[in-house]
Amino acid sequence: MGKIIKLGVTLGVFCVISAGMLAYVFMMTGPRIEANAKASFEGSLREVLPGAESFKSVAAPGAKSEIYEGYAGGNAVGLAVKIAPRGYSGEIVMLVGVDPELRVKGMKILSQRETPGLGTNVEKPKFQKQFIGKGVKDTIEPKKDIDAITGATISSRGVCEGVKTVLKDSEQYRKAKP
Amino acid sequence: MNLWKDFNQGIVRENPVLRLMIGLCPVLAVSNNAINALGMSIAVAFVLIGSNLVVALIRKVTPDEIRIPIFIIIISTFVTICDYVMQAYTPALYQALGVFVPLIVVNCIILGRAEAFAYKNPVLNSILDGVGMSLGFTLALVSIGVIREVLGAGSIFGFPLFDERIAATIMILPPGAFITIGCIMAFLNKMENKVL
Repeated sequence: MGKIIKLGVTLGVFCVISAGMLAYVFMMTGPRIEANAKASFEGSLREVLPGAESFKSVAAPGAKSEIYEGYAGGNAVGLAVKIAPRGYSGEIVMLVGVDPELRVKGMKILSQRETPGLGTNVEKPKFQKQFIGKGVKDTIEPKKDIDAITGATISSRGVCEGVKTVLKDSEQYRKAKP
Repeated sequence: MNLWKDFNQGIVRENPVLRLMIGLCPVLAVSNNAINALGMSIAVAFVLIGSNLVVALIRKVTPDEIRIPIFIIIISTFVTICDYVMQAYTPALYQALGVFVPLIVVNCIILGRAEAFAYKNPVLNSILDGVGMSLGFTLALVSIGVIREVLGAGSIFGFPLFDERIAATIMILPPGAFITIGCIMAFLNKMENKVL
């Protein structure tokens, strides 16, 4: 019995020391980690909607995406919309910039787990620039309107679906808001 | 001097990846380009040297029955520290390595060295063992990373060497890792004229 207690106490002491060290490191790095995540997301918002200076998250009932309204000098200059369509292996989290005429202005893949060398090419500008200028009335079908990536049709389709949803949600949001 | 032997045994003679064939999971997963390989090596080196040092320090007060849980606590503490620090200071690298940073905790090189070496040897020898093993791991991982990146993506450390369309994509996919590691092992065995 005495031995079990001794072993338990020893293990407990190690755990307490370790927890203390981790708490200290977390306190030192926590704010920086948060700032990094925020800065990187805001940087991405600016990238997809050039010209906008600040962004505000807005509520969009019924939308499948997260909508951020972009402002420059107090005027709304477009939307940046975050969406996560299904790719070949998991979600492709992406951000699409939409201008006031509801056309795609820019896009960026935030995270994806597609096949390296094939599906990961959805991150290439060559693929993404095909979406620029597409509006809600345009058809966006892989292999027809958009050159799909060789060997990654499903990933390409995922991105197409994402852009389509973003345009639909943006239109709906604009209509709901006077 | 034994110190020199403890230091250099991990580099080639008992190279953890190419000789002992342990810790292969991260090696296969993150060696698809040279930068990821180097980043992973640095993270593993930090954890390995740190855990070897602490295990050697406390080996006299560690009860034999619960040494493994204690090793795991020490290792996971170092891994979590490493995880936070990378998230805070090298976010891009952290994103590239993804889940493999927290998974360093189950890298058998680290627990293996704690159990097989640091638990039985003084602090200085243990640190040198950690440094040597880390160098061996780095050497193996970065060579695999460079070979795969050059053949599979036509670049080295991110700098393009030739048109990526003529590169063999299979080399940056999982089979490329097995092919590369197999060829390097075969080459090393040939050099030593020794069959495993």
